[in-house]
Amino acid sequence: METAIRQPTWLSRLNALWAPPAVLDFWLSRLNPLWSSTRTLARVVERRPEAEGVTTLVLQPNRLFRGFRAGQHVNVGVEIDGVRYTRSYSASDMPRADGRIRITVKAVEGGKLGAYLQAIPVGSVLSLGQAFGELSVPDGSAPCLMLAAGSGITPMLSLVNAQAAAGFPQPVRLAYWARTRADLVQAAALRALASRHPNFSVHFVLTGEAAEAGDELEGRIDPRHLATLLPGGEQVHVLACGPHGFVERAREVLGGHDLSFQAEAFSPPPRFVDPSDQGRVRVTLLQSGRTLEVARDKSLLEALEEQGVKPRHGCRMGICNTCSCGKTSGATRALADRSVQHEPTQALRLCIHAAQSDLALEL
Amino acid sequence: MSKIKSRALSPEELNRFGEELDALRARTLATLGQSDADYIRRIVAGVRWLGLGGRVMLMAGAILGGTVLPVLLWPLCILGTVLLGLSKILENMELGHNVMHGQYDWMGDPALQGRTYEWDIVGTSDAWRKTHNYSHHTWTNVRGMDDDIGYGLLRIFPEQRWKPFYLFQPLVAVVFALLFEWGVALQDLRIGRWFAGKMTGGALWKMAKPVVRKIRRQVLKDYVLFPLLAGPFFLPVLLGNIVANVIRNIWTYVIIFCGHFTADAEVFPKDSVRNETRGHWYLRQLRGSSNLTGGRLMDLWSGNLSHQIEHHFYPDIPANRYAAMAVEVREICARYGQNYNAGSLSKQFGSVVWRILRHAFPSKPGRARPLMAAN
Repeated sequence: METAIRQPTWLSRLNALWAPPAVLDFWLSRLNPLWSSTRTLARVVERRPEAEGVTTLVLQPNRLFRGFRAGQHVNVGVEIDGVRYTRSYSASDMPRADGRIRITVKAVEGGKLGAYLQAIPVGSVLSLGQAFGELSVPDGSAPCLMLAAGSGITPMLSLVNAQAAAGFPQPVRLAYWARTRADLVQAAALRALASRHPNFSVHFVLTGEAAEAGDELEGRIDPRHLATLLPGGEQVHVLACGPHGFVERAREVLGGHDLSFQAEAFSPPPRFVDPSDQGRVRVTLLQSGRTLEVARDKSLLEALEEQGVKPRHGCRMGICNTCSCGKTSGATRALADRSVQHEPTQALRLCIHAAQSDLALEL
Repeated sequence: MSKIKSRALSPEELNRFGEELDALRARTLATLGQSDADYIRRIVAGVRWLGLGGRVMLMAGAILGGTVLPVLLWPLCILGTVLLGLSKILENMELGHNVMHGQYDWMGDPALQGRTYEWDIVGTSDAWRKTHNYSHHTWTNVRGMDDDIGYGLLRIFPEQRWKPFYLFQPLVAVVFALLFEWGVALQDLRIGRWFAGKMTGGALWKMAKPVVRKIRRQVLKDYVLFPLLAGPFFLPVLLGNIVANVIRNIWTYVIIFCGHFTADAEVFPKDSVRNETRGHWYLRQLRGSSNLTGGRLMDLWSGNLSHQIEHHFYPDIPANRYAAMAVEVREICARYGQNYNAGSLSKQFGSVVWRILRHAFPSKPGRARPLMAAN
């Protein structure tokens, strides 16, 4: 959500006459690139390398940003070669007194934004959405087991730091999967926390190297790991964050040990999309709250009409833009040249694109 | 109109014609990037700075001219009015019109999205997106489908049925030019249908509500709030705003009329678009559109409607690309024996004026010339 929604007053209505938001924002941005009357923006105030291909950024949001809770994420948008790319990143630290937000970004193969952010100049201004996400440490005295794989560590760092600030009122055990030691983020800081707080323990689980240190394990998530993580076989609150496969496997492995199970999975990377135009995919219509299955071998407009949905439309040949609507997730294929678009967009023309994967549309 | 400048194409030729134009489209789309984003942002900045300059000059002229330095009243107010008019022209044409076509949607900038952009003119963007982006661009110069043919007021082509009312059209055309933005604002309401009893008052009011809201906004802004800022010296500011809007009205009218109503522009019967192919659609756009020569200045101030042909081929491609694409379009048209209708502003508008005068009186259409040769 980029727009701060406020009740219009007669004063704001009057102001909108002198200077509609677009005009006001133009002049505000000339005075200070971070200023805006409608858009949450943030300036990069610090950048430091964290691990192999992983960079931490500290962002100073403008006044429209409403803050975040530990474990939440934000959508970060950057313009690369004229095109805005948006990805969501978890805050990798707890909320700070100065209102700044820290994110830790991994360069993913084929991901434009992750690579760009590795070298973004300090002082750059990004667009920032309001924080969202429900991941949190449940209250009470029961222990909490955090399972993180790869970039899934970021919300856990935020939650662990928040627990540390509160003096770890309940036991927290973190297990952090990575391919190699060089891929680990903030390992030293986590170890230091574990040595200071008896209520916090950390295990690093390596899938591409042999375990050496005492707090290291190896292999993909497996019931064997439970013996180390839950030696007493006790019941715990589980928080899991990582790729889909990891989260699903964690759910199976932990079955029976969990008081509660909260999970966040990354969306599958685009390369898994079936390249053919056969079969059907699931389309979620966000505004009407419907979900339906549509064919992949025809324009989305025709495919939706086949299912009884009547999107507004005009020329049916891609020129009038009447049918364009927002796409928040999923891949589409341009019928003209079969090129595939994975990026979210505010303007997808339904009449000249077909569904390639499951989609979420603003209809 | 008299001599035949374009030949009819066979269905195969039409297909190849369409494919060549589609290929040019794909080549251009593949190269969109930072320079296009920079261009449209420079236009936004131009609109803002010209607007600010115009308003400040008007205000200064009114207040200083009314108090300590009467000699500044006229020069400052005239300069301010011209700058404000230029700002509105640039906003309506190169920024608003092009952004609303979705030309810059690919950037993902929420301020430049075709579906949500609202322009600085009394007509609503929503009505424009319907009458212009859909009806006019899809059914360009097709009688009964493109409401822009004479805007329901003027008889431009002999194919339109003559009525005695058209005898007044030389006068009507002038008034329409002065009030062009109001014509655009009311176009989609089809008030004529209400007068004729084909639409209920309730239905009209429902359609009119957003239009009335937009009109109120624009009138309050230009004719109440900004003049009030000058306090007792409001009159020059008010007049400056009115004149700036009228300057914009006349200029946009001239440019738009040159787009489809010139001597060589053609209109088409409804049945010509039945089962229309891509190639036929391109050819119809070409035959119904006309360009203006005049280089980069003309391109900028006409919102690149100086490349009306390229705009109608590629309404969703950033207009700053039309000049470069025109080189290839012209070459393709020449190879297929098609007239590429381009001329200076005076020549093209002269021919529009002639049409308005000539077809005020009864006239007979020439023999219909099909776009496609029988196979």
